[in-house]
Amino acid sequence: MAKGNHSDYKKMIDRQYKDLMKHCQEHMEQVEKNLPESTDDLHEMLRARGISRREFVKWTSAITAALMLPPIFRPMVAKAAENFSRLPIVWLHFAECTGCSEAFLRSSYPNVDDILLETISLEYHETLMAASGYQAEQNLEKAIHDFAGKFICVIEGALPRGLDGKYLTLGPKGKTGIQVAKEVTSKAAAVICIGSCSAFGNIQAANPNPTDSVSISKALGISTVNIAGCPPNSVNFTGTLLHYLMFGGLPALDSLGRPVWAYGKRIHDYCERRPHYDASEFVEEWGDAAALKGWCLYKVGCKGPYTYANCGKVRFNDGISWPIMAGHGCIGCTEPGFWDTMAPLEKPLPDKSYGGGEKTVDKIGIALTGVAAAGIAAHAVASAIRHRKDDRINTEEEKHD
Amino acid sequence: MEKITSVREWSVAIRINHWAMALSIFILIVTGLYIASPFTLAKGETVSKFFMGNVRYAHILFGVILLFLFIWRVYLAFFSRFHADWKDFLAWTNIKNFIHQIKFYLLITKEGPEYKTLYGPLQSLAYIGLLFMVFVICVTGLILMGAGYHTGFTYVAATILRPVENLLGGLAMIRYIHHIFTWFFILFIVVHIYMAFWYDAVLKKGTVSSMISGNIFKRVKE
Ligand code: HEM
Ligand code: SF4
Repeated sequence: MAKGNHSDYKKMIDRQYKDLMKHCQEHMEQVEKNLPESTDDLHEMLRARGISRREFVKWTSAITAALMLPPIFRPMVAKAAENFSRLPIVWLHFAECTGCSEAFLRSSYPNVDDILLETISLEYHETLMAASGYQAEQNLEKAIHDFAGKFICVIEGALPRGLDGKYLTLGPKGKTGIQVAKEVTSKAAAVICIGSCSAFGNIQAANPNPTDSVSISKALGISTVNIAGCPPNSVNFTGTLLHYLMFGGLPALDSLGRPVWAYGKRIHDYCERRPHYDASEFVEEWGDAAALKGWCLYKVGCKGPYTYANCGKVRFNDGISWPIMAGHGCIGCTEPGFWDTMAPLEKPLPDKSYGGGEKTVDKIGIALTGVAAAGIAAHAVASAIRHRKDDRINTEEEKHD
Repeated sequence: MEKITSVREWSVAIRINHWAMALSIFILIVTGLYIASPFTLAKGETVSKFFMGNVRYAHILFGVILLFLFIWRVYLAFFSRFHADWKDFLAWTNIKNFIHQIKFYLLITKEGPEYKTLYGPLQSLAYIGLLFMVFVICVTGLILMGAGYHTGFTYVAATILRPVENLLGGLAMIRYIHHIFTWFFILFIVVHIYMAFWYDAVLKKGTVSSMISGNIFKRVKE
């Protein structure tokens, strides 16, 4: 590129970032005015947990980069983190295992993300709140009323539609999940689905799906932000909320509602075992010499090539590890319908079998080719007999030509 | 009195297209099946090996070549200056001929039906099927390509095709469909080659060599 063009380009980018920064500053002032006071002092909490200022600054750099923003946004990220507890959140649980909440809130070595999530201003969270019965119901109604149009509705779990939704009823009045979800989401500023259950239905919706469970967006006909994963990475959730606090809007989403900054590339694109894939170095069975050398897990069923997620980049539990690093292939948990589409989880895709037996696509293919070859052989012999004395070329006449 | 003359059946473009497609599809089947079930190269250092990388490179290169060959073939079907044969793909709509042709193939009758189209009734259906197969494998191939390459033409194609990807159940299902169609190609090739030789043997018009020379032999009454 010519030098002049390059500086023009740089100027344009600079201007865009400046505009973005201005937008961010204005929005954050707005937030200061509109949202309730912080309930927790983040820095005090970090200190109490033994996380130094330095570590916090490091974390802001990492998040800024993860959100694909230039370093000038670091102070804004820090500010948004301080404001984190001012964002009113209503957290609903439907058909799920609470594993996502558990994964977020109970890590053994809490990092900044985990602590941030503890500061969250949970107006209503069925697992964590003390209230129960009518009191819980009242809390929910109050939260929706007080923060109408301002709160973020976070949902864990799918919605069963079978039996008029009565496979899942909640609270003293026995409301169905669908009713509760409708009431709450209609007043929310945004709906964030945590985990693959609320995002895509997950195991409840897997074949044969007896309760007719579906994702929130499908059950209610609304669009949601889908932080997919089973469980998802807490960074993907905090990052999305920080983005919301900084810019007053949701980050760019892919066609399945997943934030592009976190789900824009595949596991296979980020994987540290990828050089072994390209070099044709595969683990053939669990615990073989190749496994000890950390070779690619493709042949023991890794679904990384079909799965959009950033697990390999951000890892889990304070960056300690992630499934492929630990030695098991990816099972594709951030993709819709993965229990069905990614099966069998520990074998490559073409080993999917039909009728519960050994009939894989390759075996069927080979059998059909065999049948075709046998058919051809039979047809060839029959043709030879049938057309043996063909009068098509009349030797008599040919002589006269 | 009968005379055997040689008639031009295939234009140069069609012949080049045919053999380029044949070669591409052959390479694509071999490389594709390797990608689906690779063997391990255990010897040597990781840095000095790039076998899967090269196989994928060849597959994607010939995949894109096949895509353009497909577009070219469809173009020829409508706009070829020699003989735009799109109507010939509809030969199967003649039901009487269709049944007659089946009888001929099943050796019930000794003579096939008379048709003026380039392809017989069953042939036309088979080639529509083939073009459909090429279309599906190109679309699924483009989606798989787009998942790994995020720039240029591939990116645009993958973005347009993303709804298809979601509809069919994500990359895993796309890959699986791609794999199933590979077997359709293998089956097609087995039958196609046999039928070409069968025509050669039974009708003695030089069907096999026609795709090289471009000419087919015809008996004409003098
Ligand atoms: C006759 C044509 C073709 C055949 C027989 C074929 C066959 C295959 C097979 C068997 C696989 C492995 C699937 C699996 O893992 O189960 C594959 C993968 C793939 N094919 Fe094809 N294919 C064909 C055409 C194409 C075309 C036209 C394109 C692109 C435009 C393409 C792009 C790809 C890509 C990108 C992959 C995935 C490779 C990877 O991510 O490592 N293929 N193909
Ligand atoms: S381990 Fe999985 S994600 Fe990693 S390179 Fe191999 S196939 Fe791809």
